[in-house]
Amino acid sequence: MATSKLTRRSVLAATSILAMPAVLRAQDATIKIGFPVPLTGPYGTEAKDQVACAQIAIDDFNAAGGLAGRKAELLVRDDKLNPGEAATRTLELIEKDQVNFIAGSLSAAVQLAVNNVAKQRGVIFNSISQSDQITALPDWSKTTFHEAMTPHLTAGAVGRYAFSKFGKKVVFLRADYAYGDEMVDGFKATGASMGIEVLADLKHPLGMTDFSTLLPRIQSLKPDMLVLCNFGRDQQISIKQATDFGLKKTTKIVAPILLYTSRVAVGPAAFEGVIGGTSYYWGIEANTPSAKIFNDKYRKANGNKLPSDYGALGYAGVRSILDACLRAGSVETAKVVTALEGAKYDSYKGGQEMRSCDHQSVQSVFIIESKSKDMINEYDVFNVLATDAANADNLRSCKDEGHA
Amino acid sequence: MLPAEFVARCKRHRVVLSVVFLLIFPLVMPFKAIAVNILIYGLFALGFNLLFGTLGLLSFGHAALFGGGAYACGIAIVHYGAPWWLGIFAGLLGGMLIAAIIGALAIRTRGIYFAMVTLALAQCVYFVAYQASDFTGGENGLRGIDVRDINLFGLHINFVDPLNRYYVVAAFVAAALFVLSRILASPFGAVLEAVRENEARARACGYDVRATRFVAFVISGGFCGLAGALQALHLSIVPIETLYYQTSGLVVMMALLGGMGTFFGPFIGAGVFLLLENLVSLWTVHWQLVVGAAFVACVLFFPRGIWGTILLGRAK
Repeated sequence: MATSKLTRRSVLAATSILAMPAVLRAQDATIKIGFPVPLTGPYGTEAKDQVACAQIAIDDFNAAGGLAGRKAELLVRDDKLNPGEAATRTLELIEKDQVNFIAGSLSAAVQLAVNNVAKQRGVIFNSISQSDQITALPDWSKTTFHEAMTPHLTAGAVGRYAFSKFGKKVVFLRADYAYGDEMVDGFKATGASMGIEVLADLKHPLGMTDFSTLLPRIQSLKPDMLVLCNFGRDQQISIKQATDFGLKKTTKIVAPILLYTSRVAVGPAAFEGVIGGTSYYWGIEANTPSAKIFNDKYRKANGNKLPSDYGALGYAGVRSILDACLRAGSVETAKVVTALEGAKYDSYKGGQEMRSCDHQSVQSVFIIESKSKDMINEYDVFNVLATDAANADNLRSCKDEGHA
Repeated sequence: MLPAEFVARCKRHRVVLSVVFLLIFPLVMPFKAIAVNILIYGLFALGFNLLFGTLGLLSFGHAALFGGGAYACGIAIVHYGAPWWLGIFAGLLGGMLIAAIIGALAIRTRGIYFAMVTLALAQCVYFVAYQASDFTGGENGLRGIDVRDINLFGLHINFVDPLNRYYVVAAFVAAALFVLSRILASPFGAVLEAVRENEARARACGYDVRATRFVAFVISGGFCGLAGALQALHLSIVPIETLYYQTSGLVVMMALLGGMGTFFGPFIGAGVFLLLENLVSLWTVHWQLVVGAAFVACVLFFPRGIWGTILLGRAK
């Protein structure tokens, strides 16, 4: 019994041994980046591509030696496209997994939920989906960053191009929710100075499957263009039915965001000639060196496939944070925020700048047209018609967003 | 087999046992935020179960009571700068108020009609919240419910700390459990069961069936509103999805899974459902398949729910 007696010294020794791993961990702990995206739900395809792309950014960082030996790790969580679930998952990432940073999200409501939880705890969040609110007060905070485009920017760029090329008589067809409203507002703001005439502004509920009641009305108005402010499945169905109806003979169809994944899923015939905007299309690699490098990495990691628009944002969102860590030489929030603010970078689509006042990435918008002929491979689905160059004047001004 | 005397004692002290369980619960959960979620949804299911299990009314509109409480709490804090305790009080009242409105219209009907009327009225609440975006944030949800510290009688609690947050929520849940236990043990509780078992007979005995139903609905709204208010504080947002009919379906599922009409069943149901969803979705995107199969298996083999089946085995 005497040998197993508990002395103060043995207790001290035992606790110090137990405490050792904690000390070691603190020194070369991995840099953890939480990545909540909607793996289940209607945007699952985009979300999976975002994960694949984000992983490339992580692998690159680690292959280059990390931050003085500290490796990065991606913690993917399924937010199920539900803000409540996203908030819970963000709490898990911050409280249990103790992530250093958060990137991700693929809906306006979800990114605002993640942002709310992250900013309350002073954790940097780099959002990779569209929203006009996140860079504006009261949602914005010092640790909030926005890598994606905003509806205002997207609609403005597409509007400037389309209204000058295809005529001034316009019909809007919007999905009746925030996304549709923000896009139409953006188009109208741009169109006002260009003298457009709005013939009709029609709304349809989310998840509509039959547009046949609206199409004859649109045709009888004889617009120069029909602007479809809807997303995902709604966009696919409305474009397909408008094509079947023969609307394209007289009217140009324009969509603010033309999704690469939708176009690949639906096929060339229905989308033929549709004009839209995008944050990224792999085809820009012909004259953008950084895109070529990124595409090649993606091809290598994913069996010669090519990255989608929203997928590429996953790469950019994670890479911006990791590059800032390298510049700051630290993972401390305050230092990384300073390194991110005003940063000029070219990671995949040409030059970008993280605007200091509202942490919005100033970037180019690509105007694309869906094609059905002369496709060099199954991923060659768009022609890039024009590039709306990165210009802070195209964004909402910081004053408009409520920043001092 | 445990001695009958011990079981009887456990039944008598069900609130004490529940509170002991609440104290050790976060330590065995994968992370604290989900433990808080289980408490909140457990309380929500408990409020629902008062109507469904005890009174025998199947409501498909309880999202309006839960979400109504959440929005009332959130709006009080965000737009009127209310302190946290007033927010919780607003949530409680908000849930009861919406329950009173929906209840007054819906209790005339019964059975499937009651379910449909509550569903329809709850959808009205959803669309009102959707349209009133200046107040509710609309599609984007209500943000900015930023409660970081809780001051109570000189006690200062850091509410951002996960364990503190859990115990604050647990304190409210424990209080609610106590109140519910008293209600069920009261003569009023007995009337609820009498109405469930035989409405005509209860009426013949001189009880006002309609008033009983109405009061039960409003009390149920109080519990659900409190759960909603706690969720608003916990997540610091109120998503518009809180009011959606899927939330109503979720609480029916939780109550069925745990065991309708049992005291502790709703918590078990909420816990099993949320844990399954959480853990399964970590390794497969087809989590819905697994959770759905588990639910079907439960309905087929344990029609009394998990907790109900355990209680039944004990009684044999």
